[in-house]
Amino acid sequence: MVTVSSEKAVEFYNEWQDALGNLRPQYSGLGRSIESLGLENLAARFAEAGKQVDLDSVTFYLDPGKYRNMPTDFVPRVIPLEHWEAIAAGVEQRLRSINMFLVDLYAGQQDIVPDDVIYSSQHFYPEVQGFRPPKDVFVHIYGIDLVHLGDGRYVVLEDNLRIPSGISYQLKSRQMVEEMFPEFAGEYDILPYDIRNAYTNMFRSLVGAPPVPSPGGGALCRNQDPFVVLLTDGKYGAAFFEHRYLSEELDIPLVEGPDLYVGPDGFVYARTLDQDVKVDVIYRRVEDLDLFVPGLGEAYLDGKVALVNGIGTGAADDKLVFLWVPQMIQRYLGQTPILEQATSYNPADAESRRFMLENLERLVIKTRQGYGGLGVFVMPDLGEGYKARVANNILQNPLAFIAQETLDFSQHMVFNEQTRTLEPHHVDLRVFAVQSGDGTVSVFPGGLTRVA
Amino acid sequence: MQANVGSPIATVTASFIYAVRYGYSEPVINNDNQLRIFPREGEGQSSSHAEVWSIPSGRGVEFKDRFGNRVHRLRVMQPHTTFIVAAAGTVHLSPDQPDWVDLPISELTDLPESFEFTAISPLVDPAAVSQTAFAAAGDTNSLLSAVKSVVQWVYEEIVYKRGTTTVATTAGQVLEAGEGVCQDKTHLTLGMLRALNIPSRYASGLISGQTGETHSWVEFYHPDQGWLGADPTRGVILPPASDYVKLGVGRDYTDVSPVTGSFLSTGAAVDVAAIADVRLTETAPTLEDALHLLEQAYVVHNETGSPGYSLERPEKDL
Repeated sequence: MVTVSSEKAVEFYNEWQDALGNLRPQYSGLGRSIESLGLENLAARFAEAGKQVDLDSVTFYLDPGKYRNMPTDFVPRVIPLEHWEAIAAGVEQRLRSINMFLVDLYAGQQDIVPDDVIYSSQHFYPEVQGFRPPKDVFVHIYGIDLVHLGDGRYVVLEDNLRIPSGISYQLKSRQMVEEMFPEFAGEYDILPYDIRNAYTNMFRSLVGAPPVPSPGGGALCRNQDPFVVLLTDGKYGAAFFEHRYLSEELDIPLVEGPDLYVGPDGFVYARTLDQDVKVDVIYRRVEDLDLFVPGLGEAYLDGKVALVNGIGTGAADDKLVFLWVPQMIQRYLGQTPILEQATSYNPADAESRRFMLENLERLVIKTRQGYGGLGVFVMPDLGEGYKARVANNILQNPLAFIAQETLDFSQHMVFNEQTRTLEPHHVDLRVFAVQSGDGTVSVFPGGLTRVA
Repeated sequence: MQANVGSPIATVTASFIYAVRYGYSEPVINNDNQLRIFPREGEGQSSSHAEVWSIPSGRGVEFKDRFGNRVHRLRVMQPHTTFIVAAAGTVHLSPDQPDWVDLPISELTDLPESFEFTAISPLVDPAAVSQTAFAAAGDTNSLLSAVKSVVQWVYEEIVYKRGTTTVATTAGQVLEAGEGVCQDKTHLTLGMLRALNIPSRYASGLISGQTGETHSWVEFYHPDQGWLGADPTRGVILPPASDYVKLGVGRDYTDVSPVTGSFLSTGAAVDVAAIADVRLTETAPTLEDALHLLEQAYVVHNETGSPGYSLERPEKDL
């Protein structure tokens, strides 16, 4: 009843079941509880949970003028511990190496990525040259996009180093499943984690404050030591729900640009009703700092305030720079990469460009600076006419694109509330990690699974 | 036809200035640019002294792009409504280009340079001008004769005329219009040479004794001698290298445009003035010299102005 035997389901690796239609061991508990609940009841619970999503304003805006709740599937994804241990080690390895690369880059010392590639990147920030961030951390919060090819082979598609969003949806949906589908969790021994403590200690580490024990390691706002704020682009921003959720969860004030200013002493202050308070750390969720708080970029570069994440991190999540991350791991940690990454080609190199053009029909072409699925062209899915246009564009602007091999990645069961059936859909996995100034990295178990 | 034989004169030293000023309708808070306004190193050039300034000042880094051009990535964060960039220095120029031996064009295939420099580029589509190329060159297999015929054809058939084309005019459009400036003649020549399978590239720079704009010409590839110059605006193959200060090379203008970038503002760039100068003197010009020169520059007004407000630089749409 909870497996699917259509041909479609066996064409790709399915997280739930093997090619013969048998539930994989890690899904037998979940399969059992769905079976005893029944699909009618499951549908009723989904409807109830959907209402809660609306009531809690769990949103992700695509069009700022239009209310849009976050479509959520409450059927959990189960990642076996042995898979997770490899993922967590691989994510930590990648985060550390990329951060060390950024420190080297802005010290003018890196020689891994060709100058032409790194210095032409839109998100390379010349003004950061010569700057060392507090505790040498550029990337405090990291989001990595993985796909599962099957049997524990997780492959990296993209690193997100600027203002990665999504952790709140991971937390919120997990919390809702625990409350509204308690029988699911009952079948499993789930790894615990405490993001409030990890974030708090990361913020504290940046000003040299000692870590606080978990649980209860919050109360940042009340004792103001350090004083941390979350800078949002406002309620029309795509991820405003997340900003609101995290500010509550982390107990730090949610501020907009006009709430902050750079004082004559160069420090950053928050306006409050009583008095203006000096800000130690800004968890910024905006890209163009000076547009929101004039002079904030300079204040950071002068060491007057810590920013989470730092300025200029985007130079390393440029899709072309991605090609050199394995070399970064090799160089900085002396290790072999734990996670594979999608095979990619650099069209700025004439030989690779020729290869891309000759094999275009089987590749994925991405615009170099796009993110979140923008500017992605899956050539096998596009017609002949498109191929000529894409080829022409690559020839004309070789530095604007990269190519990757297509991957057959896994499917997960998604509940269709209308038909009351479980359907296989392709899924990815965005995993979040926090890097603290005291050298620790916390990779939060699980992740945000997005459905194609 | 005989190629110009370089006369054995000593290296000359020239001083150069390139300056540009942008005016904006509203304050700009973040101006991020790639500047290609320094002489290239090598290929008969070396600059002994070169500096770049901006007003307001910014922070930057210098690197070489994939064509070997010297690039300054410079970002100005201080709010401003006028932005000035100037480069100045001295450069040593070697004597004329080397004598060279003619070759059959058929020997030019499968060179490493062929793939990049015979292909389509944003402003040069060889297919759009190939018929003209074949008509101009006849059925010759001689590199020398083909280059000569194409350069001569463009020199004679395309009327030099200002103000009818833009920085975005393509080789095909130049052919259709039958007129243009040096950039247009260079693009058309490139398209025709590429249609004949001769690797060729765009060169931009300054010419001595001519205060004013930047100049452009073509370079074609000779497997034994490297890149050799030809100037379709002046109708010369192998122009005297000591007259030309080369700033950048690329597939076409889009690879070498002196200033490219983006800025953050609610306003627009409403006027621009640029000026270039090369003199045969060994004294390096100062910023004051550059600013003084800039006062003589012709100001181009952009009444409507293109909106400069961009949180993300827009990608080219496929």
